[in-house]
Amino acid sequence: MRATKLTDILRRGDRVAVSNITGREASKVTDISQRYCGNIVGGWALGKGGDQLPVGPDSSLPVFADYADLLEHLPPEQHPNKIVIYSPPEAVYGEVKNVVKFSRGAVETIFIITENVSIEVSAKIYKLCRAENIDVLGCNTLGVINATEHVRVGAVGGDAPEETFHPGSATIISNSGNMVNTMASYLYGAGIGTRFGISTGKDQLILTPLRDLLELVLADELTQLLVLYVEPGGLYEQIAIQWMREVNFSKPMIVYVGGEVAERCNVSLGHAGAVVEGAGTSARDKKALFDDYLQAPPFAPGMTFPPDRPPLRGLRLEALHDLPEAARVLYDILGRERDYRHYHPLRLNPWLKNMGRLGTRLPPALVLGEGVIPSPYKEQIEEFHRTQFGRLPARRDMRNASHASSNDGATPRIYGRSVLRLMDTRSFAYSLILAWTGYPPSRDFEPQLVEKTLVAAMTNGPGTISAQAAKLSASAGNSPHVAMIATLAAIGEVHGGNGKEAVSLMVDRFANSELTNPYDPARRELVEQKARQAATEILRRKRAAAEQDVPFQRVPCLGHPVYRTEEVNYDPREQVIARFLEQIGVYHAFLDFYHRLAFAMRQVGVTRNVLAVNVDAAIACVWLGICWPLLCEKKLSVERAKNIAVAAFALGRVAGGASEYFDHADFGEPMDMRIPVAECVALTPYTEEA
Amino acid sequence: MPQQLGELTFLRELAPRFAIPVPEFLEWPAERKAVSDCLDRWKTALAKADILVGGRGKAGLVERVDSAADAIRALKRLSAAELNGRMARTSYLVQHVPAKHEVYTAITYDSRWLSPAITLSLKGGVDVETIAESDKRTFPVDVYQGLDAYQASELLESLGCPRPVISPLSRALVNLWDMFITSGMRMCEVNPWRITPDNRPLACDFKGVLDEANFKHRNIEFELPEYPESVSEFQQEMDRWNAASYQGQAHVSDLGGKGVLPILFGGGASTIIIETLLQSGGDPMFLSDFGGNPPYDRMRGTASICFRHKLADAVVLLILGGKANNTRIDVTFQAIADALAEHAHRRSSELPVIVGRGGPRLVQGLLALQRCLEELGWPYTIFGPDTPITMVAQYAGRLCQYLRSSKEAEPQSQKQQ
Repeated sequence: MRATKLTDILRRGDRVAVSNITGREASKVTDISQRYCGNIVGGWALGKGGDQLPVGPDSSLPVFADYADLLEHLPPEQHPNKIVIYSPPEAVYGEVKNVVKFSRGAVETIFIITENVSIEVSAKIYKLCRAENIDVLGCNTLGVINATEHVRVGAVGGDAPEETFHPGSATIISNSGNMVNTMASYLYGAGIGTRFGISTGKDQLILTPLRDLLELVLADELTQLLVLYVEPGGLYEQIAIQWMREVNFSKPMIVYVGGEVAERCNVSLGHAGAVVEGAGTSARDKKALFDDYLQAPPFAPGMTFPPDRPPLRGLRLEALHDLPEAARVLYDILGRERDYRHYHPLRLNPWLKNMGRLGTRLPPALVLGEGVIPSPYKEQIEEFHRTQFGRLPARRDMRNASHASSNDGATPRIYGRSVLRLMDTRSFAYSLILAWTGYPPSRDFEPQLVEKTLVAAMTNGPGTISAQAAKLSASAGNSPHVAMIATLAAIGEVHGGNGKEAVSLMVDRFANSELTNPYDPARRELVEQKARQAATEILRRKRAAAEQDVPFQRVPCLGHPVYRTEEVNYDPREQVIARFLEQIGVYHAFLDFYHRLAFAMRQVGVTRNVLAVNVDAAIACVWLGICWPLLCEKKLSVERAKNIAVAAFALGRVAGGASEYFDHADFGEPMDMRIPVAECVALTPYTEEA
Repeated sequence: MPQQLGELTFLRELAPRFAIPVPEFLEWPAERKAVSDCLDRWKTALAKADILVGGRGKAGLVERVDSAADAIRALKRLSAAELNGRMARTSYLVQHVPAKHEVYTAITYDSRWLSPAITLSLKGGVDVETIAESDKRTFPVDVYQGLDAYQASELLESLGCPRPVISPLSRALVNLWDMFITSGMRMCEVNPWRITPDNRPLACDFKGVLDEANFKHRNIEFELPEYPESVSEFQQEMDRWNAASYQGQAHVSDLGGKGVLPILFGGGASTIIIETLLQSGGDPMFLSDFGGNPPYDRMRGTASICFRHKLADAVVLLILGGKANNTRIDVTFQAIADALAEHAHRRSSELPVIVGRGGPRLVQGLLALQRCLEELGWPYTIFGPDTPITMVAQYAGRLCQYLRSSKEAEPQSQKQQ
């Protein structure tokens, strides 16, 4: 082995190059590594020469066509001494041969992260690199971390290595990459940090075997404790233990041997190295080997050791979660200071829990107390809840399922409430709020408001296109329901559908603000402030549009084709709703917002007069007021709140459409909506060509 | 699982191509006359089941026959044999070779030299485990240079092989090496080479394992026979799904348990979790390792297969892994949540769900799963990476044990009433 010290494997100052650096995994890991320690000088990827790989907020790494190209273009002081291979399995051998060919003597270590490299290629790589005095970690290693010097290669530590790896005295060597992380976090709970975390790789051939690594650990002054995670397969431990006996290995160790169940099931679990092929390689054999070397029974919490025979060589764990306790006991026996003063015993700490009715039936031993979510996760969850507005429904198979309705053969229900009881005691508007939001109205006046919006939406005269659609359908001889569909089909983004945009505008302004009760008059100031802010932004947008000479996107539900001539304009239907609220003494933040916005827009110069808050806005405000507490409590999705505004207009208008149908069917003539040929204008010149 | 090769494939395909001397053989089904002719020539034969499992001899799946009638009876019986969940594909008849020596050989990759190695013993014909260490030797083989006849003869000589045998056996071993390396094998074993009275070595039983990661095994120019297995539909579907892509792992081994449905991540973690479940009464349905940062579609497909086959009968659903390095928790947990929602209708009752995980974008992942479970109204407890996986597994195991025992107790108490 080339390395004579642990830091020869990885130290600060190493220059790392990455193969297939633009790959899905390699690019992600490179980004995180670069943020963590900045030791990557560049990489190469087939067909990507000349690209830049973005890393960190405002930096990038050069991507070269191949390794030779990298050496040609990087300045000599940046030539890599460590290589990380992320190439596909079939390309790994070629990559290693190139590295060996082009940088004889310069490259010290190659880390092969790639999985599914053939065993023949592994053997060839070992032989080739051994001859060139290059160390190889892998294949199928996760990488290495030197926590003392805050550097890593590969993905050890995931996307937040500093969370798990705190500088300390334990060197972890593991056949499983994931276990490097897990054991480091357990140890830190016991106040023991990490010196090195080494994932050896888990293929049948481990190209830097345990014995070689132990030689480096022995020579490392900073390593006070060796922690091993061992799997079945190979004679690596047998060879290592034989060597440890020969040199009277002085570092204490804690070892966990896993995989006994996999042996029984003859399953490799993705670890080719775990396939047991010979005597001395099974988990059972390895446990016996370590027990014999350690001269101590397997560790169990609370166990005591004879004073004349302390476990100076270390302990073997039967349960992995005993690692912190074993480490604490071992440090105490050896009279060594732990790296950190804290000691957090491992325990069941539920973060999120709702055992429902089952929780009340469980025996005390299975009932868990409230857990404590540690930092930074607690803040992340709070932040998520703070910034996430409304409900994020989880998708499920809805083919034969419904929250909205049910029928047990006797009682039809809306969101669990009996239709019969609703018919007896409640209004249509009350039931509508329940059916559309899933919850009954929270205020008595809400059904009255809804009723008013339905009436308001019913008609705006026979000339509106939705009314015209019903009349056309009647004129064609259709049934009433077809005319109602025609009415609905004539409602679109610019006719009746604008309420959705209005809700969007208000959700964007008020989501996660202090406004949780839309009827709270104490929020007037907030509403005024939001209206002024909105008006200023609209002005900015309008000016930008004028500069670019592109159409200005109008504010939804403000202005009316009829009510627009006064200094201050009002839509009389909206005014009915506003007056009703005034009469019952209810403040409505959203309606107030819209009025203040109309005034603020004139004030800042977006408009010359105060635009009317139209009936679409009134409908949107009424329904958003009903939905708002449910959105704040994450009981209702924002998408549903937006759609309700459209549905509310459509429901009122479809009733109006039916009235147009009945009228037209009674008094009109068939086909009377037809436009005579003489009145139609042909805009395309005639041609005789077929 | 690695692709195994049996003796019949060796006799029919590999031995002739690599000029490895073997006895004559006849594959079943065959005409009565053909069987008769063989027995007339050979006098004695061995009828064997073509089955990919060790210990055929001890299990009675190799039978010595002296007549055509006995041979046909034995071949019929053996072609329908079953052993340790494996089923025979067919049966075959091999010439019995009188021998004065039996030699054991295996070529494999050895962790001591990190290279190919050949193991030899002059006391072959028995299980390699029963051969005394002093009677067998293992020698490394240079992976670039391979095994040549001089090296082979030196090895045989060092073991005390009778001189007249050394030359023909050396040549046979070189051919065996050629087959091993050319076909991209992980290991091959000939046990025994039977050395005839006129010093001809014949390979009289064979086992091999191809390395699926080695492109060479795709160039072997013959179809690998498919062996029927008495494995569950779930296992078969999962094996196919696993083989369909290298993106993320989908390893599963059906354990036949009736308790915990384990969706586990990480090879090391999965092993430990299953061991803990077994110790704590969790009775896991299968072993699984779904790590390796699977993309959404891959994870959703994996979870869907598990839920389609196992969700209805599960007592506890356990979704558990250590602190992931690569695997994105938001992606994998969203995929599991969506698969769960898709298959929840398979259950007539709520299913307790125990979750433990750490890794990239953890919070988003846990909250996605929580939303799904709240939506379904199923009881759940979710742990973070500060709770050890073994403790979570232990809790899930005990919960499962309690729920099963209380379920089993219910009818009894009703009976007493």
